[in-house]
Amino acid sequence: MTRYFNTVVVALSLVVLFGGPAFLGRGVLNDIWNVAFAVVLASIWNILGGLAGQVSFGYSAFLGIGAYATVLLSHQGWNAYATIPVGVVLAALFSVLIGLPTFRLRGPYFTIATIGISEAVRVFAQGMTFTGGSSGKRMPGSYGAFLYKLLPGVSRGLAVFLENYYAMLLLAVLVIVVVWVIQNTRFGLALSAIKQDIDAAEALGINATAYKVWAHALSAALMAVAGSLYVVAFQYVAPNSVFAFSMSLQIVLMPVIGGVGTLIGPIIGGVVFGYLQIKLLSIPALQSSNLFIYGLLLVLVMLFEPGGILGLVKRALRPLSRGRAREEVRNVA
Amino acid sequence: MAELLSITVNAIFMAGLYAAMSFGLALIYGVMKIINLAHAGVIMLGAFFSFTLFQYAHIDPFVSIIVAFPVFSALGMALHRYVVSRLPESGNTPAVQSLLLLFGVWLMLQNLGYYVWGSDTQSVLTTYTLKSVKLGPITVGIPILLMFLVGVVTFIILNQVMTKTYLGKAIRAVTQNRQAALLVGINARKIAMIAFGIGTGLAGVSGSMMSALYAFTPDFGRNFLLKAFCIIVLGGMESLSGVAVGALVVALAEAYVARYLVSNVFQDAITFALLVVALVVMPQGLPGLSAQLGRYFRTKEVARS
Repeated sequence: MTRYFNTVVVALSLVVLFGGPAFLGRGVLNDIWNVAFAVVLASIWNILGGLAGQVSFGYSAFLGIGAYATVLLSHQGWNAYATIPVGVVLAALFSVLIGLPTFRLRGPYFTIATIGISEAVRVFAQGMTFTGGSSGKRMPGSYGAFLYKLLPGVSRGLAVFLENYYAMLLLAVLVIVVVWVIQNTRFGLALSAIKQDIDAAEALGINATAYKVWAHALSAALMAVAGSLYVVAFQYVAPNSVFAFSMSLQIVLMPVIGGVGTLIGPIIGGVVFGYLQIKLLSIPALQSSNLFIYGLLLVLVMLFEPGGILGLVKRALRPLSRGRAREEVRNVA
Repeated sequence: MAELLSITVNAIFMAGLYAAMSFGLALIYGVMKIINLAHAGVIMLGAFFSFTLFQYAHIDPFVSIIVAFPVFSALGMALHRYVVSRLPESGNTPAVQSLLLLFGVWLMLQNLGYYVWGSDTQSVLTTYTLKSVKLGPITVGIPILLMFLVGVVTFIILNQVMTKTYLGKAIRAVTQNRQAALLVGINARKIAMIAFGIGTGLAGVSGSMMSALYAFTPDFGRNFLLKAFCIIVLGGMESLSGVAVGALVVALAEAYVARYLVSNVFQDAITFALLVVALVVMPQGLPGLSAQLGRYFRTKEVARS
C-alpha cells in the first residue's frame, strides 16, 4: 500500500515538474528551478556528509570550479553544456587532492580543515585575475540553446531558460538516483560502517580512506555539474557568490534541517530551505534576518531533533504505532 | 637586515593579540572537547561593544576591555547554561553536533550584529590609532604594542589562576580526565560552565581591543577564528604555553611569507593552508612534534651505543 502510494507521488511530481513548462508561468518555473537546485546541493552533500558522516564545509569550492570552468571555456567559444565534463574532471581531481590529506583527520578536525580549505580557495580566487577578482565574470552573449533550433516557435531567451530548467531537473533526478543506488549497494554499506565506527569498519577490512575519497570525488563531480548549470542560469559568477562561506554553509544547512543520512531528508531540507529562501527574500522585513533564522534552525535541530524534519515526522508518527501496540497488549491481557 | 628585524619584532607583538584571542578557544576545547565556533561571533560583538562605548561615552577600547570581560563572561555562562549544556555528553571525542550547534549560535550573533549596527564598516579612531613608537631602528604601532601588553598580562593572570587556585586546578583536572575529575568530587558541569564563561570573556576582550586596530563589520571575526584554531592546533589544543608558541609561529609565518614569498592579497590564505598542514602533519601540535623528535633522536643514540 505504502509502496504504491510512494510510486504515485513520485510519478505525479515528475509529471508536474517535467510537464510544467506547458501550463505553469515563468515565475513558478523559476521557483521550481531554485528548489531543484537546493535539492541537488543538499542531496550531493548528503553522499559524504550524511551517508559517510564526514561533515565538510568545503563544497562551495567544487561548485565554483564547475561554474568557472563553464564561464572561462564559454569565452573560448565552447558550448556551455559541453564544458560540464571539464568542470567535473577538475572538481574530482581537486577533491582527491584535498581529500587524501584531510581524510586522515576525524570528526570536527576534518570539518575545520574543510573550512580552512574553502576559505583559502575563496581568498585565492579573489586574488587571481582569471576569475575576474572580486567583480567576477559574466557569461559571453551567445551560448547553449539546443532547443532554440529544434522549436521554431520559442524565443531564444525562453529556449535558454527551458534548457537549463530541464537540465537542472535531470540533474536532480540523477543525484537522487545516485544516492539511492549508493544506499542499496556495498558502497553504501561501507560508508554507513565508516559513519558508525571507523575503527570497527577498518578492522573488518574496509579501506575507509579509499571509500571516503571515492565518495568525495563523486560528490565533487556532481557539485561541479550543479555549478555549471548555476552559472548558465545566472549568467554571472564571482568568487563572492560561488566560493562564499555562506554558500558552503547553505549546502550543509539544508540536509541537516531535512535529516542527514537518508534519501528523503535532504530532499525535504532542500525543498523547505529553497522555498523558504524564495519567500524570505520577498518579504523586506525578513530579508535582514535570514542568518538569524538559519542559525535558529540549526540550533533547534541540533538541540531537539538531530534527525531533522524527517526525524520530527517519524517521532510524531511513533506515538500512533506505540499507542496501537499498547492497546493490543491490553487486549491480550 | 633592519627590515627583517622590524618585521620580526612586529610579528612578535602581533603574536600577543593572536595569543589573547586563542586562549579562550583552547580553554573551552580543553574542558569540553568542543570547538566553539561562536568564538568568532563573540569577537565581533566585542569589537562593536567597545565601538558603542567609544561612540557614546568616549571610553577608550583598552579601558572598555575591563567592562567587556565580565559582560561577555556572563553571556558565555548563559550560553552554556541554556544551550550548550543541553547537548548530549560527547565523551572524549568532540562531536560534530556541537560544532553545528555553535555554528548556529554564531549565525544568530552575526545577524544580531547586522540588526543593531547595520552592515557598514566601522572603526574606532582613537588619538593614538595611527601613532607609533620608535624602539631603536624599529617602528611599532601603539595599538599593537598595547595588545601585546594585554596578551602578556592575560597569559600571566591565566597561568596564575590555572596553577594556584582551586578553580584552575579543577579546570585542568577536567581537561585531563573528566571521569577521574568527577570521581574526586569536582562538579564538572559547573567547571565547564565557568570555563565557557572565561573563554567567551576572553574572546570578548580580544574583539574589544581589536576594534582599535581593525575596521569591522558584523562579518568580522571569521578569519580570526580560523587563525585561533590554527594556533591552538599548533599549540597542542589544550596548553596555554602551547597557545603562546602557536601564536608566535602563526604571526611569524604570516609576516615572513607575506613579505618574502607571495603578495599581501594571499596573506589570509597562508593561515588557512598552515591550518590544514598543521592538522594533517602534526595533529598533536608542536609539543607532540618535539616529543616525537626527542624520541627519534633518543632511539638513534640507543642504536649507536
